[in-house]
Amino acid sequence: MGGHHAHPTDRPAEARGPLGGLPTELKFATALLLLLALVLMPPARWDGLLVIGTIIAVLLILSRVTFRQLAKRLLLLEPLVLGVAGLTWFEPDGHRIFLLLMFKANLCLLTTFLLAQTTSFSELIALLKRLHAPWLVVTIFTLMHRYLFVLADEAERMQRARASRTFAAGCHRQWLSLSSVIGQLFLRASDRAERIYNAMCARGWK
Amino acid sequence: MNALEITNLNFIYPDGTKALSEISFRMLPGECIALLGPNGSGKSTLMLHLNGLLPEKLSGDTIKVFGDAVITENLPQIRRQVGMVFQDPDDQLFCPTVAEDVAFGPQQLGLSPAEVKQRVTHQLDQVGLAGFENRATHRLSHGEKRRACLAGVLACEPQLLVLDEPTSDLDPRGRRGFKALLRTMPATKIIATHDLEMAVELCSRAIILNRGRMVADGPTRELLADEALMWENGLETPQVLLRPGG
Repeated sequence: MGGHHAHPTDRPAEARGPLGGLPTELKFATALLLLLALVLMPPARWDGLLVIGTIIAVLLILSRVTFRQLAKRLLLLEPLVLGVAGLTWFEPDGHRIFLLLMFKANLCLLTTFLLAQTTSFSELIALLKRLHAPWLVVTIFTLMHRYLFVLADEAERMQRARASRTFAAGCHRQWLSLSSVIGQLFLRASDRAERIYNAMCARGWK
Repeated sequence: MNALEITNLNFIYPDGTKALSEISFRMLPGECIALLGPNGSGKSTLMLHLNGLLPEKLSGDTIKVFGDAVITENLPQIRRQVGMVFQDPDDQLFCPTVAEDVAFGPQQLGLSPAEVKQRVTHQLDQVGLAGFENRATHRLSHGEKRRACLAGVLACEPQLLVLDEPTSDLDPRGRRGFKALLRTMPATKIIATHDLEMAVELCSRAIILNRGRMVADGPTRELLADEALMWENGLETPQVLLRPGG
């Protein structure tokens, strides 16, 4: 097989839990409404936030997402949330704002995670096309999704080749070779982008 | 009218590497030419020129495809006539599903959705991928990817088919199948390849490039049987021509 990496949403509808089979429009609109409500909710309305939090929790339970899946993704993005919310800690009344930001940001993350877990990428792209989203945005998303697998495979092959010739246990040297792998990956991605562009032009892309 | 006419083509990459020097040849409609040579001999660079894919200003009479000069103003017309199958199928299959990828070219040609659908079905059937419409392109085997690439190019109904290493990375069965498929294509073909047995089987004429220069142009069997010529240019006479009566 060409690609060994599977996108978390690259699965048939029945494998995406009970909510997976619902219309994409419904899932997208719900996620959008929840995100808007979270962003626009005034700071003092903790009760409102709790209601939204409960709705998200119920949806998460209904989608049968495992705690492990949830924790993995949240942990991956938590440093970013902490980085942004942490800046407010030193402001007057900062503790309260910090807590509010953490709560809101995590609920936003859970909402997008829920959408990604229950909807395949191709369904989302098809919806964007139906909604007449700008074609350039749709094309960029489509290409990004298509080539994430190729890049991930390439990164894995390079990582394996690096590991097979890594004899010294020195942490410093390992970091150095890892950084060169990342640099190489960037160069290869840029070369590939050029070849893809050529292939697109060859079939009439304007 | 010649299918392809190249007159004194020279090309230097921006880093100063001289890739092509004084390339000139003509090709008749329906001909199948093998483009042979060691790695770095300029085969791929020459192929990119046929579709106007290198950012370079060419004079009007350097390359002509079915009478049309390969110049910036003519590129849409040239790309309609020249179908290019790239070496790495992952570069070429840029759409999420097989059907969407095959439909890409016809959509760019401005065909109606019904015509696009008809071409997709027909071409997938022709390359042996009927029923693969909704398969994700990244999930195909290498051989299937090659076939999908060919379907995507054939869907534009090109008159000149340019193939860069079409059988590399294919297992013997995949190679056999792909060669049989190419044999059925009536279009004029240029095939850059290291698969010399395929060159003997499919191409009546061969051109050998080395360091960007044309070193030989003639009947494939004759050129490939010349062991000294093969050796000098980093190639080997294929087994099929070494056997008595081959």
